[in-house]
Amino acid sequence: MMLESKEVTKTFGAKTAVDHISLSLEKGHVYAMLGPNGSGKTTWMKLAAGLLKPSYGLVYFAGEPVSIESRKHVAYMSTEPYFYTWMTVRDVGKYYQDFFEDFSYDRYLELLRKMELTESMKTKSLSSGMMAKLKIAVTMARDADVYMLDEPFNGIDLLARDEIRACILEYATEEKLLLLSSHLVEEMEAIADRAVFIKEGKLVECVDLEDMRTQQGVSMADRYRQIYGHTEG
Amino acid sequence: MLKLMKYEFRKTWFTKLILLGVTAVAEILFLFGLYLENENTLGTSVFLLTILAIGGVLVIGLQSVITLHQDMNTRQSYMLFMTPNSSYVILGAKVLEFGLSVAVTGAFFFALGTLDITLLFAKSGELNQLWNMIQDFLSRITLANGTSILNLNTQTMAIVTFNMLCAWINMVTTAYLAVTVSAALLNGKRFNGLLSFILFLAISWASGWLEQIATQQIPSVETSMLVQGGIALLTAAVMYVATAQIMEKKLSV
Repeated sequence: MMLESKEVTKTFGAKTAVDHISLSLEKGHVYAMLGPNGSGKTTWMKLAAGLLKPSYGLVYFAGEPVSIESRKHVAYMSTEPYFYTWMTVRDVGKYYQDFFEDFSYDRYLELLRKMELTESMKTKSLSSGMMAKLKIAVTMARDADVYMLDEPFNGIDLLARDEIRACILEYATEEKLLLLSSHLVEEMEAIADRAVFIKEGKLVECVDLEDMRTQQGVSMADRYRQIYGHTEG
Repeated sequence: MLKLMKYEFRKTWFTKLILLGVTAVAEILFLFGLYLENENTLGTSVFLLTILAIGGVLVIGLQSVITLHQDMNTRQSYMLFMTPNSSYVILGAKVLEFGLSVAVTGAFFFALGTLDITLLFAKSGELNQLWNMIQDFLSRITLANGTSILNLNTQTMAIVTFNMLCAWINMVTTAYLAVTVSAALLNGKRFNGLLSFILFLAISWASGWLEQIATQQIPSVETSMLVQGGIALLTAAVMYVATAQIMEKKLSV
């Protein structure tokens, strides 16, 4: 298993954000992590990225608990903007180049060009859509083993979404694991081959989408409606 | 570590640049006053330079604590904690950058002060006389055992500067611990800020008490100051290890 969580739990005061989730993710697949707001997707990703410490249980990368070593191989993109406000787009790339051996500045420049961003732009003056593109560019310019993208399509226009989708699919090789969370279920259906459904901090199921379609005749969107329909009204 | 230090410096360079700029203006004012032998200008510039020397070191320390607070409590924390660096390295870079900044600032103002005093003596014989009177007065103040409390010379001034810098480094690393305890252990709890502030005061008091106990039998003020500085640095090292350990084991960003 490339990424595995065993009984992982995270509480914030009285609230349990992730509740005993045991989950195994294999390389060579693109996983869609689905669930309504507050279901625990982001918390689980942050636990896997080592940004949050679990209250109980552990997350493993390649058989070892998530650690400083795993950060070298796991590329995480948060849904919130997180760059220092004094940074330019160039500074962001240089920062990643300084700290991640798998980062390619050439690849970064190529992605910036596709996203129509320039190095001299200041991060604090970027629109939310441009910021989302920058986050994608800097994350995908790494040659990591695992990519975890939290809401990668948030605030991005249709054309840019096509670019991002192409970029993600380019990286979906046998050796890599991609995990994406999104509310845009239809969008995810075109990219993912497996889906992880999370509800109220608990894992509902992790399914192979092709198997689900052929054996049950149910699409990802249908399954999403079955699981969350009553909660989302 | 060096790369992290580079970014730590980058986060604080603007404040340092402003400090340097204002100091340059005050120094020009001083030189101008010296050249014109204008006492008002000289007085104003010396007052400004003294405030800047003390205030500069304080501001650098405060900014370092505020930066750590931001690095643990805002989204910017991801930038730091997603890099493949241990908490010991991350915090070490902060402590070293701050220590180095304080040391360079202290040395800079010490050198500037020495230069300005020398220029002042060279220019004015009266001031030289006044300086000798101050020295003579201070050298008459003795401790119970007959030891002179202070002899104003370059060595003493260097020791006093060292002592003050060590005390400040100690205080800032204690503040690091308090801020980290607040973010990692007390996060979301009531009276979080108050509790961490009480912790800061308690550790500062304990550290001061330890320095007092260790130096009460030392007759020489200079030796006492050196030992105090050493203990302050040692306590700062303990604060560093405790802070890094809490960050490593408990901090969620």
